[in-house]
Amino acid sequence: MTSRRIAVVSAGISVPSSTRLLADRLAAATASTLRERGVDADVDVIELRDHGHELVDNVLTGFPGPSLAAALRLVTDADGLIAVTPTFSASYNGLFKLFFDVLEPESLAGKPALIAATGGTGRHSLALEHAVRPLFAYLRALVAPTSVFSAPEDWGAGGRTAQSLDQRIARAAGELADLVAVRPAQKAADPFLEPTPFEQLLNGS
Amino acid sequence: MQLGIFSVGDVTPDPTNGRTPTEAERIKAMVTIALKAEEVGLDVFATGEHHNPPFVPSSPTTLLGFVAARTKRLELSTGTTLITTNDPVKIAEDYAMLQHLADGRVDLMMGRGNTGPVYPWFGQDIRNGIALAVENYALLRRLWREDVVDWEGRFRTPLQSFTSTPRPLDGVPPFVWHASIRSPEIAEQAAYYGDGFFHNNIFWNKEHVQRMVELYRTRFEHYGHGAADQAIVGLGGQVFMRKNSQDAVREFRPYFDNAPVYGHGPSLEDFTDLTALTVGSPQQVIEKTLSFREMAGDYQRQLFLMDHAGLPLKTVLEQLDILGEEVVPVLRREFAALKPAHVPDAPTHASLLAAAVSETKNEEVVA
Repeated sequence: MTSRRIAVVSAGISVPSSTRLLADRLAAATASTLRERGVDADVDVIELRDHGHELVDNVLTGFPGPSLAAALRLVTDADGLIAVTPTFSASYNGLFKLFFDVLEPESLAGKPALIAATGGTGRHSLALEHAVRPLFAYLRALVAPTSVFSAPEDWGAGGRTAQSLDQRIARAAGELADLVAVRPAQKAADPFLEPTPFEQLLNGS
Repeated sequence: MQLGIFSVGDVTPDPTNGRTPTEAERIKAMVTIALKAEEVGLDVFATGEHHNPPFVPSSPTTLLGFVAARTKRLELSTGTTLITTNDPVKIAEDYAMLQHLADGRVDLMMGRGNTGPVYPWFGQDIRNGIALAVENYALLRRLWREDVVDWEGRFRTPLQSFTSTPRPLDGVPPFVWHASIRSPEIAEQAAYYGDGFFHNNIFWNKEHVQRMVELYRTRFEHYGHGAADQAIVGLGGQVFMRKNSQDAVREFRPYFDNAPVYGHGPSLEDFTDLTALTVGSPQQVIEKTLSFREMAGDYQRQLFLMDHAGLPLKTVLEQLDILGEEVVPVLRREFAALKPAHVPDAPTHASLLAAAVSETKNEEVVA
């Protein structure tokens, strides 16, 4: 069985957090869909709250502290990304943006991604489309067409709504699994091991 | 081992009393600091180059020329010379002139500069940073090594039958270091030419510094300039010392917490763990500096940042006294004892001239 690495980034603030709950369900659904396609999934979850100080420090000093550096590497080296944020002021929260601000440019280029958000009301659901999706478009991630928003009512027992969250999760996870499964496993290029030869730099290429 | 200091040349309010030096005071303070460096037995003084407030040193060769006239022994360097936005023709001329006036006590550390608007102010684009560093330096080398240059490139008006004057002192161009915090291309450039590589590790964690230096060393050997451990490496450092380390921490903390580059970010303790900063006793500075050798191998140049973040001149001069009396003699002795014989010292005008003379003699013998 081949295997792929899925990095899950959760920007939930409270503990326990519904953002993390959604992230875990998306990760589990993606892993099980990949398994159905004959691919093993290694899932790494990054709770951004754990890196709060280091994120601000990185923005101010220009380099990541050791535990943040490890988290950034998990995302860079992953074959697929699940990024989940709570909705703050009609957009992703600051923690979420800080993380993607300090990620090295190009880290997400061509990387399959699934975006999801939680919010206090279903009326925020388009924040995923007008805020989160453009961010990942800029980073040139390959974002699955289905994004998943969950409002408080989705967590209730209210039959139709709850079922529909399950369906949205399954559909989004299926899309991400498809994108991940058809691609070769990520091998991060290392400029320190394979530098651009200087003659090439001299020739302006 | 060359031990010295480098100055950014920032005009920063002293956070303990709100007092900001005038530009005149800061410029004269830089001179006083450079003279003090020679007095306490340091080898190198390097000045930054900046073209925006709150920095004063926009004209490094004017400053270094003045310092050259008032010193006898001190090696004068830059930290860094902007190879991207300066005209390489002007760099060739200015530093050759300085070389003559300073009797060869001159080398340069090339850098790209990271202040966005400086590029457009000088007619360039920051997105071409690496390409500018590559092309401009290639031209600079030719201007110092060929009497008459015909040249055409991407970024500067072409040259036909151009001779850069004065010619380098004794026909020997100044030694060049290439400085970069995070660009493997610059380590590659330094390795390609067999030039020095300087990592200002006060702004980056040691694992990263290690990778950059390792890349430079490997490629230095790849390009046939010698074994990897013979490559010419320089490192930054940043220290604040008092006899008791608690006193050093107490006195330096407000300067650290409000420093322009990293202030209001990581704690002094975290930053000390992660980077080349040491705040403590002279013995702690000695231990930390010696640990750089374990990280980067035997290296040739250690520069300390001493005057920044609003530290008053009086304090900086006290720091230089401690550095000269208690730290540098020990570091000199320890580094010399640890360095294997086949690892070279940092090139100077005298060593480069001697190498050029012996090369000429060898050629005559062959002919």
